[in-house]
Amino acid sequence: MSDKKQKLGLFTYDIKNGLGLIGYNIDDHEHAHIIVDVDKCDDCSHMMCVWGCPAQCYNFRDQGLEKMKFQYEDCVECGTCFIMCDQGAVSWNHPRGGFGITYNQG
Amino acid sequence: MTDETDFDVIVIGAGMAGAATAFQLLKEGMEGDRILVVERGDPVGAKNMSGGILWGRELDDFEEYLGNWEMECNGIERYINHKKIGFLSSEDAVFVEGKFASWDGIGGTEEPSQRAAWSVLRAKTDAWLAEKMEEAGIFVMAGIKIDQLHIRTRDGKGDDAEISDLDHTSYTARDLTDPAPDSGEGGAQKWKVDNLPKDVVEAIRNGIISGIVQDGEVMTSKVVVIAEGSNSVLTRGYHFDSMLHAQSKDDMLLGVKEVIHLGKERIDERFNCFAGDDSRPPSGMAMELALSLYRDMAEQAWEDYPDTAGQMPRCGGFFYTNLDTVSCGIIVQLKSLPQGLHTYDLYQAFKEQPAIAALIDGGEVLEYSGHLCPEFGLHRMPHRFARDGAIVVGDAAGLVFANGMMIQGMNNALHSGKLAGKAIAKCIGDNDVSETALNATYTKSLKASYIFRDLKRFEPATKFLNDDANFTWVPELIGKTANRVFREIGEEKITAEKVFFGTRKDLRKKSRAYKKGMGWLNLIRIGMLGRKL
Repeated sequence: MSDKKQKLGLFTYDIKNGLGLIGYNIDDHEHAHIIVDVDKCDDCSHMMCVWGCPAQCYNFRDQGLEKMKFQYEDCVECGTCFIMCDQGAVSWNHPRGGFGITYNQG
Repeated sequence: MTDETDFDVIVIGAGMAGAATAFQLLKEGMEGDRILVVERGDPVGAKNMSGGILWGRELDDFEEYLGNWEMECNGIERYINHKKIGFLSSEDAVFVEGKFASWDGIGGTEEPSQRAAWSVLRAKTDAWLAEKMEEAGIFVMAGIKIDQLHIRTRDGKGDDAEISDLDHTSYTARDLTDPAPDSGEGGAQKWKVDNLPKDVVEAIRNGIISGIVQDGEVMTSKVVVIAEGSNSVLTRGYHFDSMLHAQSKDDMLLGVKEVIHLGKERIDERFNCFAGDDSRPPSGMAMELALSLYRDMAEQAWEDYPDTAGQMPRCGGFFYTNLDTVSCGIIVQLKSLPQGLHTYDLYQAFKEQPAIAALIDGGEVLEYSGHLCPEFGLHRMPHRFARDGAIVVGDAAGLVFANGMMIQGMNNALHSGKLAGKAIAKCIGDNDVSETALNATYTKSLKASYIFRDLKRFEPATKFLNDDANFTWVPELIGKTANRVFREIGEEKITAEKVFFGTRKDLRKKSRAYKKGMGWLNLIRIGMLGRKL
């Protein structure tokens, strides 16, 4: 028993490595399944899409960027960003048939 | 409806719910070539992910199509005879563990002897189910995403009513679920669909659904079954649910999982599993945990992003053994996620907890995945289950049950699919597939089924499970108490009761939230809630 604060630690997942393990059939930009109106993100105070997204598709002030940088290629199609965004910036639909993520295990 | 449709039933989504609906329709006597199952993943199963335990023997009802599914399906990995729940804090792990002879299903037990839970990997399971559907004569089309539903409108009443097709080019799929340009923030959000002409909106919301539109082509059916899963664009787009509700964070979980390869022998050894024989698959372990691992991470986040200071992420961990891999992951209650914490970093903390790290030691990660899960169905359900010519089943209907001891969605999906199949067969037989008829059959039987009864009965448990206590001081208090009770460090022994109160006193000094949480009134309140589990 000590008054010293017990250290629990901070943890960082190697998300790039994790995403590298997933198979994708990426559609072209014209058919991107998520479209983000990044201008609307300028005024967003919470960036919950950034924190919620399990695939780091959203990069913003947490990465030192001034403008939201979104990329759909790594998306695991979970739909979290659609739920987290209350700024009306996320247009969400599934990718075209056959495109997007391909799980081998599931 | 006298004119001939392309199919009797079109099922959108070849997951558990979709497959069950299709098989049930066959069982009810419908011809296989009158049923179309469309699936956006190619191959079938490519989009599907679950934590990993299928509870209950719902698949038995389809034995004529599936045979001995437990042995033959390569996605059904191990049966579960070893169940653990636990409390994990950063250094302590306390488990309650059961090994049940009756779960082996080989007889000789007082309790009913039956295997009733399996670890599954959905990509493989669903591909196998699709294969069986095709063998049974059902049309399965993989790699097809449905943008729009085909809608007909009724002008006038009774038999004189004029029926006309809604021109599906008068709106786009994205119009239905996109925020409008003039949308406000938070509760003031508006959607593009609100700005469409009134008659189109009315048709979309209340017209007769009579088929699907894919790449501009219409395929008609008497009934459309929406089995899209937990992130169902069609359910929200076609107004089974209001957009605000569909977008709400309440009771919505994000599952983040890794499938880690350990090899069959190593798993058999490490988890004391039965290796399997000709009549029985290998056995395995299922474990669910309350996590309190995030104090430091949260405090760091609160410092960086003070807006959500004090908000602790509520996460549960799960760990299941598959044949030669394990499924290891967490579920995050999205509402509780504070700014500054990435969901995948929360997973890493779980993975590195010493008790978990030891279980996956030497493993190789095969796949990372993420998926939404509508926990506590009652709150996540769409506002209606049926409308003229269409119903919604499975996860798309929010039929997921959780009480902290177990979380089940796949058996509910299968069961709702069966009820849907029965109801649709009857309605088509009666030549009435209106909302009223479908409600009187499908919705009614759903509400009378164990799915709804369970959800209702365990509703108080959701309060307990949503309580911060279970994700902060409860695991720590249990861990520390157990630690000190079991340990010998050359000091005078004291009784468990004394240890408990001493630990409580120590922990209460840690933070104001802990102090408040462990006050007597709150302890009693938590105890009263927990009794309903």
